[in-house]
Amino acid sequence: MIEIRDMRVRLGKFTLRDVNLRIREGEYFVILGPTGSGKTVILEAIAGLCRIRKGAIFINGEDATNMPPERRRIAYVPQDYALFPFLNVRENIRFGLKKGDVNREETDRRIGHLAHLLGITHLLERPVGNLSGGEKQRVSLARALATAPRILLLDEPLSSLDVSTAKYLRLELRRFHDELGITTIHVTHNLMEAEELADRIAIIDKGNLEQVGTREEIFLSPCNETVSNFIGTPNILSCEKCSDLGHGLIEAVCGRMPVILPYEGAEVRKIALFPRDIYVSVVKPPGPQLNRFRGIVRDIQPFSSLARLKVQVGDNLLLTEMPKTAMEEMAIEVGQEVYLILKIRGIRIV
Amino acid sequence: MHSSRVYKGIRGEGVFRAATIGALALLCLFFVGILASLFTYTDWGTMAKTLFSREIFLAIRLSVTTATIATFFAVLIGIPAAYAISQTEFPGKSVVDTILDLPIVVSPVALGAALLVFFNNPVGMGIEKYFLRFVFEVPGIVLAQFTVVSALSVRLMKSTFDSIDPRYEQVGRTLGCSKVSVFFRVTLPLARNGLIASCILTWARAVGEFGATITLAGAMKPKTETLPVAIFLSLSTADIEKAIAVIITLVTIAACSLLVLRKIGKKGYPA
Repeated sequence: MIEIRDMRVRLGKFTLRDVNLRIREGEYFVILGPTGSGKTVILEAIAGLCRIRKGAIFINGEDATNMPPERRRIAYVPQDYALFPFLNVRENIRFGLKKGDVNREETDRRIGHLAHLLGITHLLERPVGNLSGGEKQRVSLARALATAPRILLLDEPLSSLDVSTAKYLRLELRRFHDELGITTIHVTHNLMEAEELADRIAIIDKGNLEQVGTREEIFLSPCNETVSNFIGTPNILSCEKCSDLGHGLIEAVCGRMPVILPYEGAEVRKIALFPRDIYVSVVKPPGPQLNRFRGIVRDIQPFSSLARLKVQVGDNLLLTEMPKTAMEEMAIEVGQEVYLILKIRGIRIV
Repeated sequence: MHSSRVYKGIRGEGVFRAATIGALALLCLFFVGILASLFTYTDWGTMAKTLFSREIFLAIRLSVTTATIATFFAVLIGIPAAYAISQTEFPGKSVVDTILDLPIVVSPVALGAALLVFFNNPVGMGIEKYFLRFVFEVPGIVLAQFTVVSALSVRLMKSTFDSIDPRYEQVGRTLGCSKVSVFFRVTLPLARNGLIASCILTWARAVGEFGATITLAGAMKPKTETLPVAIFLSLSTADIEKAIAVIITLVTIAACSLLVLRKIGKKGYPA
């Protein structure tokens, strides 16, 4: 278990203020926040890579505040992977295995096992300069895991990958975690990444830890405006009636809005929908009219690049979000009739 | 209106391109012209005879040996010094940085004179008496070369260390390396090409060092006669053929060094 008490770190003009955090053994913990919020600084402090001005860090009850990084048994995978270019893949993975501690056979066995687990056996003799982003990520992960660390720190591990590779590796990361059971702290600015991977999430902004909780706690009950602005306040709809449509689908009527969603159970009481998961159009969308509704714009709140619209559908006042430029192009005004399309994957059962 | 502006822009670009390439061509022509003029003063036979004379052989040997020793010491102290100035924050760092730049901008004759004065004070005289003689001796050549090139060596190596992403060292630390171990296992291999390039440039500069060498070690044939000193001595006795032969030797050494340097430059690690 990792316990951070009143930690303060100062780097130039940036200050990470009084962080208090407890991360449980074997947990997949995600630190979520916008760029420059101090996410990486927390990782670096846990790894012992930056000086702590105030406070303390305990790892499994042991005070690690002033412990050098090499003694913490914490593996760190930086955003750009930092694979050593003068070593090939095998040598990179072997780097952390000290000759005195692990014999040759054990080293080879461990490298072979990790290479198999991460699907990089065919890359072992390759120079790291020729690897793709996804391959580099796997090699970097193998190198980190080879030392049998107690904690794994991942700094934006999927941010430099293309969408499909990132999506695939997201599932893989969770699989490795479940298989190895290692305490993992993952830093990201991507809400979907946090939602899919995390057991618990910490929201950080401008050096302040704003909220720590489970996915549901964070997404459905943001503790303040900062968190709610960052994750977006969801629309919570109460369902009056549910009917099973078969094939794992149900129709839930919420405030005279018949919403279709995948669900194996019998009854849904409430559903949550994030504003970003509702698309707005001024023309009637073609195709079957499932989860598509006609509504009236009641309010428009423009921000720098984004606009938030309140749209009346049935008895519900739905909050939606769209790029400001798109709203201006469509000349959407208060009182106008618009069509809303609900993203089926974005519908959450509460 | 719009098309005429575009045309003017294209014409302006052409003029700018011609002006910059013209300046480059002029400079190249200037250097090639100087070197080519050497061959108008002598013929191949005389030059070959002079080049293979014992005196020139001794001068080459002395220059290469002293430059190699000076480079060895410059690199030995330069690597940790460059690393410290590149990676460490300490009070008075800008002052130290300026002190290190001084030998690069101060005239080598002035540095040689300062060394000569140093060996005339009690500490210097003590070193001369009980440790090693430098004034008008071969070690003086090494010391003079070291004084001139060590700062250059530190400057070049510092830029190499500056270019290394600190993430590599950080990852090395989390993989179980101590600060010392990470320096040898991560930083030095990453800096390898840059360090080799620095060594070559330092060595080439040491071979060509004249001002500080002649001031501290003198110009005694053949005892302290390095290649640049040989040019000076030949010119002072109006032996133009010999001076030209030595100049060509020096230019060849410099050209070979730069060729090796370019080859190393192409071997950089992909980012």
